This record gives sequence, C-alpha cells and structure tokens, in this order.
Amino acid sequence: MLSTTLNPKLVNPTEEHEMLRQTVREFTRKEIEPQAEEYDRKGILNTELLRKVGDLGLIGITIPEEFGGAGMDSTAAVIAHEEMCFSDPGFTLAYLAHALLFVNNLFYAANDDQRKRYIPKTITGEWIGAMGMTEPSAGTDVLGMGTVAVKRGDNYILNGRKIFITNAPEANVFLVYAKVDGRITSFIVESTFKGFSVSEKIQKMGMRASTMAELILEDVEVPAENLVGREGGGITNMMRNLEIERLGLAAMSLGMANRCLDVMLRYSNERQAFGKPIAEFGQVQSHIGESFAKIEAMRGLIYGAASTIGPDHRNRPASDAAKLFAGRAAKEVADSAMQVLGGYGYCNEYRVEQFLRDAKLIEIGGGTNEAHQKNITRDLCKLVQV
Amino acid sequence: MKILVPVKRVPDPELKANIKDGKLDLSGAQWVVNTFDEYAVEAALRLTENADEGSRDGEVVVVTIGPDDAAVQLRSCLAMGADRAIHVASEDANLDSLLVAKTLKAVYDEEKPDMVLLGKQAVDGDTNQVGQMLAALLNLPQATFAASIELADDGKACVVSREVDAGVEFKKLPLPAVVTVDLRIVSPTSITNGITPESHEYADGPRYASLKGIMKAKKKPMDNKTMADLGVSGSPVVKELEVTLPEARAAGQIVESVEELVKKLSEEAKAL
Ligand SMILES: Cc1cc2nc3c(=O)[nH]c(=O)nc-3n(C[C@H](O)[C@H](O)[C@H](O)COP(=O)(O)OP(=O)(O)OC[C@H]3O[C@@H](n4cnc5c(N)ncnc54)[C@H](O)[C@@H]3O)c2cc1C
Repeated sequence: MLSTTLNPKLVNPTEEHEMLRQTVREFTRKEIEPQAEEYDRKGILNTELLRKVGDLGLIGITIPEEFGGAGMDSTAAVIAHEEMCFSDPGFTLAYLAHALLFVNNLFYAANDDQRKRYIPKTITGEWIGAMGMTEPSAGTDVLGMGTVAVKRGDNYILNGRKIFITNAPEANVFLVYAKVDGRITSFIVESTFKGFSVSEKIQKMGMRASTMAELILEDVEVPAENLVGREGGGITNMMRNLEIERLGLAAMSLGMANRCLDVMLRYSNERQAFGKPIAEFGQVQSHIGESFAKIEAMRGLIYGAASTIGPDHRNRPASDAAKLFAGRAAKEVADSAMQVLGGYGYCNEYRVEQFLRDAKLIEIGGGTNEAHQKNITRDLCKLVQV
Repeated sequence: MKILVPVKRVPDPELKANIKDGKLDLSGAQWVVNTFDEYAVEAALRLTENADEGSRDGEVVVVTIGPDDAAVQLRSCLAMGADRAIHVASEDANLDSLLVAKTLKAVYDEEKPDMVLLGKQAVDGDTNQVGQMLAALLNLPQATFAASIELADDGKACVVSREVDAGVEFKKLPLPAVVTVDLRIVSPTSITNGITPESHEYADGPRYASLKGIMKAKKKPMDNKTMADLGVSGSPVVKELEVTLPEARAAGQIVESVEELVKKLSEEAKAL
C-alpha cells in the first residue's frame, strides 16, 4: 500500500499508533484479505473472523483498560477502520456496528452493573451486538421515531420496528432506542427476550459481507435494569457516540480509496494501449492525480478531526465534515478506478466494482450527505447568530 | 529460562525495493522486524510460557543494533510479549555480520542467557552468518535452521530438529547454545517446553501484537547502549560496492513434444 506523503505524525501520532497500524495491516493482509471476496459474494458475515478481531483486542479499542479494553483513542479507532477497509469494507462495517455502535455506545452510557453484564461477552466477539435507531418511517428524522416503551411492573414493554439494522441477523444483543412518554430512551435488548424477533436478511447493493435485517418488537419485555442512563436520556447517549461513529465511517472511506488508488496505479503502469502504459495518457493521469489529492485531503481532515474527538471532547462539525467529504471522495475514487481499469474494472477480478458498491454506502448510512450538510449549517449558523 | 533474541529491522519485504545510483533507496522504506527474527521471538515466547494458562515462565530479552528509530521494531517485539529490550545504537552502514556478532557477544557476556535464538538470516541481505559467527565467538554449540525445539526436562539441554536434504536431522545441544530458526519453527506444535501441555496447538505463524500488548509495551524496560559501552569497536570488513537488480529472465518457451524438449535441453540449454 502507498503510504502517505503527509507528516507521519498526523496519521501515527505515537509509537502505539504506529504499532497498531502495523498489527492491523498485517492481520488484514493475512486474515481478512483472503476471505473477503467469498463473503461479499455469498452475502454473509464471517463471525469467526469477528472473534479473531476480538482476540486481537480491536473490539475494545476505545474501552478503558480496567474494563478489558485497550484504552486507546479515536485516532486508534480510525486507524483500525482505515486498515481493515483496504481489504474488506463489508466486514469492517459489521465490526463498526459491533465495536462502535454497540460496545462503545453502551460502555459510555451504561452503569457498572450493565457494563459487567454485557461488556466482557461482547468485547471478545463471543456475543455480537447491534444498534437499532432507524425505523421504516423515520431515518434522518430521528425524533420522529415511533417505537414506544411503557413501564409495566419491573419491565418496560417495547413495541415498534427498526429497519436496516447491521448485524441484526447474527446479533445476540441490541441497543434499541424507544420513546418513553415521548422522550427517546435507550434499552439493552437481548435477542432471546420474549416478543423480540428479526426479519429475513435485507439484501443490499454493497457492504455485503455485513448483514442487515429489521427488528420486530411486539410487546418485548425488557427488565428495568436494562434501561441505559435515564428515561429521556437516549438523545444524549446517541449524540455522545455520533462523532466517533462518523469518524469510523469516514475512515472506512479512506481505506476503500487507498485500495482503489493502489489498484489503479498498478494497473495503469502495466496495461498498455497504443504502445505505451496507459499511465502516460493525460486523461488517466487526471483520474490518478485527482484521486491522490482527494485521498490526502480526506486523510488530513479525518485525522485532524480524530485528534479533537473523545468521550469528553465533542466536535460535531468536524466529524460531519470528515464523513461528508470522505464518503463522496471515496465513491469518486472508486469510480475513477473502475474507469481506469475499463472492462476489467467493471468485472469482478480486481474487486473495484465491489469497492464502488461499498463506497456508496457512506453517503447514506450513519447520516446522509444532506443530514451532514444540515448539521454543519446549523452548527455554523449558531456561531454567527447574535 | 532466559532467552536472548537478536532482531534486525528490514525494509518491508512485501514492498518493492528501489535502487538508485547503485544503492538501495530506503528513503520511503517501511521498516518491519525481519521475518525470521519475528519467528525467533515467537519461538522464544513459546519456550517461556504456559500457553494454556496464558502465564509466563522465563524471560525473553530482545536486542537490536541499529539507528534510533529501530526502537519501534523493538517495541513491536515487546508488544508481542517479550519482557525487555536492549537497543545498541549504530547506523546500518557501519555494520557487517562480524561486527554485529561481536556486539552480540558483548551483550551475551552481560546478560548470560540460557539460549540465543535468532533468525537463520535477515531477509534484506540474506547473509546467513550472524548466528554461526556468534556461536564461534562465544565458543558455544550451535544448531542452525531449527524446525522444532524441545527443551529437556532439566532445562539444561535442548533437542533441535533441522530439515536437511536427506530428511530431518536431530541435534541435542547442551545449554547455553546458539540456535537459528527456519520458518517451520512457528508451526502449531514445533515447540515443546515441558510447561505448555503437549496437546496445545498454536495458531500457525508468529502471534500478532495484541492491542493490550501494544499498550503494555511502552511500560516495559528498554536499555539504550552504544557499541563503545559494550567495548566493541572497528569498522566493517565487508563493504557494499554496488546494488543491482538481477537480469530479467528471458521469456519461457512452450514445446510441442518430449522429443523437442530433449532436443532443446541438449542443443540450446546444453543441460544434457
Ligand atoms: C447498509 C446500511 C446499514 C445501516 N445500518 C444501520 C444500523 O446498524 N442501525 C441503524 O439504526 N440504522 C442503520 N442504517 C440506516 C441509516 O442510518 C439510514 O438509512 C439513514 O440515516 C437515512 O435514513 P433513511 O434511509 O430513512 O432516509 P430518509 O431519512 O428517509 O431520507 C431520504 C432522503 O431524504 C433526504 N432528507 C431527509 N431529511 C432531510 C432534511 N431534513 N433535509 C434534506 N434532505 C433530507 C435524505 O438526505 C435522503 O436523501 C443503515 C443503512 C444502510 C443502508
């Protein structure tokens, strides 16, 4: 893989980050790359690989050491997503849904009893986690969600539906948002709870090495000790986690773009047309040059944002900007790779068609481009309003 | 059991080597631990642990002779699980195999380990000399290209198997000794230490530095020394004059029949 031309301290601020990158890169090369194509083709999640990722310590990357995690920062999470995505975006999305949407989210919102009950099992990958926010008729408009929870005795009774939930077909445990008296609240729901079920897998264009399904909540009995935080605290929990989620997704875009540039470069040096390597044609150079510029810009933005974000440090506009820019840029880089490879790009062999399918997701999942534009404008307007 | 593992940093062998003005251009190199040395670290860790219980029983000391930023590779070994590191400062250009061996002898004299375990060769220069030279300087028994190591019950000897042309050769060495390792040393059951149950099967290959290992590594001791501290001086006797790529291979030929093959082998290749 091509390394960055930017200051290496930006992407590996400490020796630990550098070692982390090397470990994940090696793991990706040896364990993730060889299985990636098969799982994309079959559209299934490699749960055994997720266990291995757990053994390495990657699931608890942002969880403090005293709770069995690695105690690393947002930059470390970005490194892990970037490196794994070089080989397998779909699997990395499943990892993100588990490690960030569930484990990180739960850890920072939960009390010690809940941490004890759920973190040890999920941090190893023994149990798979998922997060349910989106509903069939409320996506971007989160506050418009219709799932409700009503207190009855020692339980809350949940009713509603959640859609597009990554890992749902395999997951043992879910972080579910539901309204108590109209106020959004988070709950831990196990797949075996009475009244809980999951639909058939939802088929999708890309990210096929991760799975998704709909959650069907019909009078689900959730013990009161599984309410996370306080009634009405769901939005706070959701917001606390959004920034690292977006950084993770942006880092996935960077990893995908790295791969596409790598393929494009090798191919354009080898492929001959009109008696010379196609890398010598100006129009091909335009794809390569623009892609490289986009990648270095993504990198600067993502790592610059990551260093400002942590459990106690918020920076919403930067995380929105990183994902907005990276999602689009990676899609364009993947498209360039396909163009440079011509017919070989459109066919499966070089996998750029997969990366193009996968890259598109980042413009939609975890917040659409339009949602990021809306957030950014709202945050910036606050700065100028008197 | 105390094991000294000398490690060298090398440019990532998976990446393309660039040659500029008759020298390797290392300006953009990404450095990694020499593959065979990483195997030696893995073997040393297996020799000094109970893998079933995840506990350590012994000490693994890694040493490198190299520039300041070679500390990163030492930290990687600590992150894999080694206990302690020694960094002897030197520029790569001022070293050859003999100077490295002399320096390692000085480290050995200070550390007095039960075994020196190292890669059979470094994948950059591929000289395959340091282990042998070190054993000679120390006047210790040596086994090279180890495919497996079995520690004797009393911990005073080990049996090393080596794959040779005629089959597998077994050597029993009294300790302390110098052992260089080949790639089979990281197969699932290549190490027997009398502590880890013999039924234990390791994953094939060297272990990854886990994230916990990485976070622990910075708290582990790393000694910084110079060659002068160790009383080693001198300049390399082997000098690098020029680096060139091997000539590109001529294209192969496809023959129609055995007769044609034999004819070509005898007339063109003069191999028969
Ligand atoms: C592969 C994949 C995995 C996913 N995983 C999960 C998961 O694990 N958990 C989970 O909870 N969700 C998940 N989602 C859901 C995802 O977060 C939503 O799809 C996303 O938030 C958009 O919501 P929506 O699909 O309902 O679109 P809508 O919100 O209905 O949007 C439709 C269109 O309208 C635009 N729009 C909406 N509101 C506005 C506005 N105010 N201003 C301007 N334009 C607007 C949108 O930008 C979009 O273009 C996943 C989705 C996908 C595709």
